[in-house]
Amino acid sequence: MEILRAEKVSYSYRTKYQKIDAVRNVSCSFDTGTMYAIVGKSGSGKSTLLSLFAGLDVPDTGRIYVQGQSMSELDRDAYRLRQASVVYQCFHLFPLLNALENVMLPMEFQWIPKKEAGKRAREILHRVGLSEQIYRQFPKMMSGGEQQRVAIARAVAAGGEIILADEPTGNLDSENEEKIVTLLRSLAHQDGYTVIVITHNPRVEEAADHVFRMKDGMLTYLR
Amino acid sequence: MVVKNSFRQLWRMKGHMALFLILLCVSSGMCSVGTGFWMINNRNLQNYEDSFMTIGTVEQSATAVQEIKKWDAETKNYRLTSQNVYDSYIPASVLEFEGADYLAGPEKRVSYTAYNPAFKPYEGIHTEIVVEVSPVEDALPDHPVKLKITRILSGQGLMEGSIIQFCDHYNPTPAMLYKNKTYVMSLIDTQGHESEKEFPDDQVREYQPAPLLGASQYAPDGSRMKDSIDENYFCDEVTEGFYETAPGKRWLHYIETITYTESLFPVVATNNIHLIVPFYQGDTYISSGREFSDDEYRSGAKVCLVPELFASTNGLTLGDFIRLPLLTANYHKSAGQIFYTNALRPYPLLNVKGEIYKPFEDSSYEIIGIYGGSTGLGSEYGMGFNEVIVPINSIKNSDADNIVDYGPMTGSTTSFQIANGTIQEYMEKWEKQGVKNVEITFFDRGYTKLSAGIENMNTIARILAVIGAVMVLLVLGYFNWLFILRQNGRTAVERSIGFTKKQCFFSLFSGIFLILFLGSLAGCTAGAVLSSHLSASIKETVYYDTTFGNSAPVETDAESALEKENFYPVQTAAGTMGAVLLAGSLTAVIGIACNLAKEPMEMLGGKR
Repeated sequence: MEILRAEKVSYSYRTKYQKIDAVRNVSCSFDTGTMYAIVGKSGSGKSTLLSLFAGLDVPDTGRIYVQGQSMSELDRDAYRLRQASVVYQCFHLFPLLNALENVMLPMEFQWIPKKEAGKRAREILHRVGLSEQIYRQFPKMMSGGEQQRVAIARAVAAGGEIILADEPTGNLDSENEEKIVTLLRSLAHQDGYTVIVITHNPRVEEAADHVFRMKDGMLTYLR
Repeated sequence: MVVKNSFRQLWRMKGHMALFLILLCVSSGMCSVGTGFWMINNRNLQNYEDSFMTIGTVEQSATAVQEIKKWDAETKNYRLTSQNVYDSYIPASVLEFEGADYLAGPEKRVSYTAYNPAFKPYEGIHTEIVVEVSPVEDALPDHPVKLKITRILSGQGLMEGSIIQFCDHYNPTPAMLYKNKTYVMSLIDTQGHESEKEFPDDQVREYQPAPLLGASQYAPDGSRMKDSIDENYFCDEVTEGFYETAPGKRWLHYIETITYTESLFPVVATNNIHLIVPFYQGDTYISSGREFSDDEYRSGAKVCLVPELFASTNGLTLGDFIRLPLLTANYHKSAGQIFYTNALRPYPLLNVKGEIYKPFEDSSYEIIGIYGGSTGLGSEYGMGFNEVIVPINSIKNSDADNIVDYGPMTGSTTSFQIANGTIQEYMEKWEKQGVKNVEITFFDRGYTKLSAGIENMNTIARILAVIGAVMVLLVLGYFNWLFILRQNGRTAVERSIGFTKKQCFFSLFSGIFLILFLGSLAGCTAGAVLSSHLSASIKETVYYDTTFGNSAPVETDAESALEKENFYPVQTAAGTMGAVLLAGSLTAVIGIACNLAKEPMEMLGGKR
């Protein structure tokens, strides 16, 4: 079932010296329960496209639809809180919150009672393969793989349907990379998430159900 | 939820938070102390301006000192005394020069003498007598000689037919007295110098001449008017019809003026009672009623201030009216120098025509104030006995025909008021005038010394305040960077997980504001306490110049001024705290706005 669709989306921005067309006339659609990979060189516009999908930017032209509703008509903050979560290469956990609190935070902002949020956060952390002893640890005390799993758990905890991951394995060793890829795949296939991953990593590209290539702001479907 | 999350994250930065709190506390404390102290000092200066007063007294110095020889019959030799000589009298108008910014312009106060038989300010005993005498034998009174009283024209305690000792004590060439002649004499009873030696059995005193018949009259230009009789005139031969002649009539007029004595009292006109030194000092003060208002000074209202003794002796109270017939005007001496004790008739009340001075001004004045305290009677700057004070402008008529003495400006007659703290400036301008033989003495109740001390403290306070403010700004800048700008990633993550910009703002701001509030509260409270202690210690150590007088009314003024200080530490601490909160909040808002302006993906991904 289609959950996210882009129609002739373009976006440009200005640096000090020039105007850059980061995304040019991109049209694509994404279904639930599917993992997508967007590959391409640095500066090809991948992250900008992800930012548009996350509702952090607004296209100059074209439209993005979420479950058939134009994103321009949506409360984009609420969209990010409830429907789409972003996972970053550098994890970007809150360093002053422990693993459990990081995962609980989006739920707390949805006014889910603390007790219930805690219970659910524990389930999710367990679901992403983290043991109890990690729950009270702060990000600095965790390995990269553990941090990324907490980040994914936080994305899942929001209760949304779309996970947008920007180079999620970029800072991980091969062992943790494999674990994250497996986790993302299972989130798509078992939990029904739409997982869109921006990557340079062939292993992620290989694991994805569909692959797009981004080049000079234009998106091409590879498989 | 946002606030809770903010506090929770802040609490996990205890070290930074404690450092921020301490630094903010210290810097805002310094700022508060400096500002508070500065405000206290400024307020004190303002209070001192209100409480203190700077007056200048003016004295013309003599151009020369003349030696005066005075014959002394006792030693048969001349006694030497000295007398100041002035080329001319410099008018007070010389003080009216460009740039002289007076609060009360220079005034050379005239001492008027009022005569009102309705008042008996004091029942005195006259020591002078006017008698007709016949010498017991022909005698030259260069030593005590016997005179028989044939008629008493004025005087107490003597009987006709009694014998008195008389010596023309200070006259090197006394006139011969003949036993078959009758003389009228104005005499004064003294401690006789030779009586007991020469007439040990005669328990009588020696009488000497009282030459009070000669007129003392001056023209308005200060020149003495010529009288037809010698100034030492005290005796005349009485012949048939003598009292019908001009000299005889003068004697009758003179005798009449003696009866005035008990009802004479000084009246001083001023534009500001605080230019009169005992009032300036606070030794003399209004004990009931009030001072003259500005309007009364300006319009010359017929209102007056009377001393307590005068009021009580004559049964006067506030609101009563008294007539002040002004007989004479003295342009030389202050009332205190003239009426330095009770029951005085300090100079002849006759003009050069031998007539009694007629009042040049005779008005009713309402008593609006009664003054008391120490009037400094008998001292150089003291008030006159029974001195009544009126506004200058209330005296409308010219005293040109009633001037009994004229002299230079003296400290007790001439004074002015300038703004506090302007003595040096005034003197610089005055010295440029090049006026010689005029000496100005300033009295400021120690204001100059106090204000200099306060200015020094002000400088320290300003330095403290500036250092404190700079420290506050540096601390705020550092912590803005630490807690906000360096937390841009946090803002970006919060944005990316669905926080609204408003929530992101409060997520950072609420914690920062809490620290700002606590730090500035602690610092400013400490600052207020310290300021209070400092101001209290100033109160104990400030030195008051009590140049004048034995009492120290100035301290009362200064203390009352200092009482008000206690309000200011709290006010300034609150103000400083407000300013720190405002500055901190402003920098925080700017910092957070910078964070929010950046795209989350740009910050978190580091690429587009």
